[in-house]
Amino acid sequence: MIQNQEELIKQLSDAVVDMDEDKAVELANQIVEQGIDAYLAIDQGLSDGMSRAGQLFEEEEYFIPELLMCSDAMYAGLEVLRPHLKIQHEGEREIVVIGVIEGDTHDIGKNLVKIMLETSGYEVIDLGRDIPPQDFVQVAKEKNAHIIALSTLMTTTMDGMAEVIRILNREQVRNSFKVMIGGGPISQAFADKIGADAYASNAAEAVRIARKLLGGAA
Amino acid sequence: MSALSQEERLTRVLDKKNIDRPPVICTGGMMNAAIVDVMKATGHTLPEAHTDANLMAELALDVSRHTGFENLGIPFCMTVEAEVLGSEVTYGTLACEPKIVREIYQSVNDVTLNNIPAMLQSGRMDTVIQATYLLSRKEPDIPVIGNLTGPISTAASLVDPVLFLKELRKSREGAHRVLDYVSDLLIGFAKELVDNGATAISIGDPTATGEILGPKMFNEYAVRYLNKIIDAIHAQGAPVIVHICGNMSSVRQSIPDIRANAISTDAIVDLRRLKQDFTSLTTMGNLSTYLLEYGPTEKVAERARLLVRDGVDIISPACGLSTSTRLAHIQAMTAAVREG
Repeated sequence: MIQNQEELIKQLSDAVVDMDEDKAVELANQIVEQGIDAYLAIDQGLSDGMSRAGQLFEEEEYFIPELLMCSDAMYAGLEVLRPHLKIQHEGEREIVVIGVIEGDTHDIGKNLVKIMLETSGYEVIDLGRDIPPQDFVQVAKEKNAHIIALSTLMTTTMDGMAEVIRILNREQVRNSFKVMIGGGPISQAFADKIGADAYASNAAEAVRIARKLLGGAA
Repeated sequence: MSALSQEERLTRVLDKKNIDRPPVICTGGMMNAAIVDVMKATGHTLPEAHTDANLMAELALDVSRHTGFENLGIPFCMTVEAEVLGSEVTYGTLACEPKIVREIYQSVNDVTLNNIPAMLQSGRMDTVIQATYLLSRKEPDIPVIGNLTGPISTAASLVDPVLFLKELRKSREGAHRVLDYVSDLLIGFAKELVDNGATAISIGDPTATGEILGPKMFNEYAVRYLNKIIDAIHAQGAPVIVHICGNMSSVRQSIPDIRANAISTDAIVDLRRLKQDFTSLTTMGNLSTYLLEYGPTEKVAERARLLVRDGVDIISPACGLSTSTRLAHIQAMTAAVREG
C-alpha cells in the first residue's frame, strides 16, 4: 500500500504540473478514500506540484496562463483535501499582507505571488488592487503580520510603495514588518532607494525571499 | 535638410527615409506626458480633459509646448476602449490616471458583440476623434498621434484578466472571437482618427508581453491581432508604432514579424543590440521613466544623447511617465535631442 500512496501523491503533483484540474480532484478523492494523510498529500502532492510549476515558470517553460491553470488544479485538489486535515498540522502560520498600490488595478502578478505564498504555507491576507498606502499599514498592525508585500505594474504608482514605508517610519513601526516589493517596473535599485527589505523579480522568487526575510532557509 | 518640420521628420523616419536627426516624441495614451507641472502651469487639467474634446486638444498642445516633445498625443489614458465596451471606469484625478474599476465579463464566452459603428460615435471615442480633428487643423506641422490600447490589453479590460489569461489556453475559440471583435473596434477607431487628421497611430499593449504570454501565445494572439490592426491602418495610408513592454527576451525572435513602422521598447532592452540583430527594424525608445522622474537633469541629457549616438531612430520615454515627473527633466531630454 505504501507504493500506492507514494504513487498517488506523485500523480497528484503531476496533475498540478499538467494543469489538469479534473485529475487533481479525482486523485484527491482517491487519497481521501484510501485514508492517506491529507497533510502529506497537500505537502508532497499539491504543494510539490506548484513548486515544480514555479520552477518551470522561472525556466521560461511556463508563463502566466500556465501558472494560473496549475494553481486552479492545486486549489481544486485542496478543496477536497482540506476538510480531512488533522488540526495539529495547521500550527502557527506566518502572515503576509499583500496588495496592489493605489492607482493601479493590475493584479495578475500579485495573485501569482499570493498563490505561491499560500502554497508554501503562509497565511496571506489579500487586500486586493488599488489600495491606499495607509491601508497596508493598518491591516498589518491589526493582524500582527510578518511581511507586507507590495505590487505595482505601473511606473506611475511606484511612489505609493515609498509612501507605505514613510507611513511605517512615521508611526514608528518600521521594524515590526518586513517589506517586500515587486512588479514590472520595480528593481532592486528602487527597493534600495525607498528602503524596502527586499525585491522579488517573480512569484517563485517571492517565496524564497519571504523565507529569507523571516530567518528561515532560502 | 535643416528645414524639416516635426511632421515631416516623424513621417520620414517611419517611412525609412533619411532625416537630419531623430525626432523626440512621447506618443500619449499609455505614454501620457500630461504631467502635473504642465497642467498646473496652464490650468487645462485632468480629469476634465478626458471627457472634453476642446480641453483634450488644449492639453495636448500644452504638453508639446512645455515639454519640447515633437508631437501631439491623445488620449491621456488607456481606458477609452474598455469604457465603450462596457467596463466600469473612473477618470482619476489631476495626478492619478483613469483606471478600470471592474471588467464587465468573467469569461470570453459571455461577451456580447455590440455594434461597432455605434460604439465609435459614443462616449469618449467620439471625444478623441473630435480632439484629433481640432489638433490636426490647428497645428498641421506637428504630427498628431492617435493612441490605441492594444488588442490583448483591451480584451483583458473587458474580461477579468486572470480569467482571460487562463482562457487563452482553455477556451481558444472564445478568446479568438473576443480578440477579433476587439480588433475590429480598434480598426474602426483608428480609421476615424486617421480620417480626422492623425499622422500616425501608436499601439501600446502592456498585457501582450513575453513575460506574461510566453512565445507561443505571443505569436498566436498578440502578433496575429496586432498585425490585423496594423494592416488595416496601413490600408488607410497611416504608419503605426507598436510599444512592447518588458524585457522581450522570450519573444525577441517574433518582433520582426510585427508589421509596424517602428517598435518601441522598455528601458531594459538594449536598442543598439536590437538594431544589430534585426537591421530592418525602426527602433524607438527608451529613456528610463525612473531616470526622468528622479533625475538628475545632466544624467537625463547624457542618456538622451547616448540613445541618439546608438542610432535609435526615434527618441522617447521607455514607458508611461509618472505624473509627478519634473518638467525640467523632460526638457533636458528633448533639448539634448533637438540640439544634437
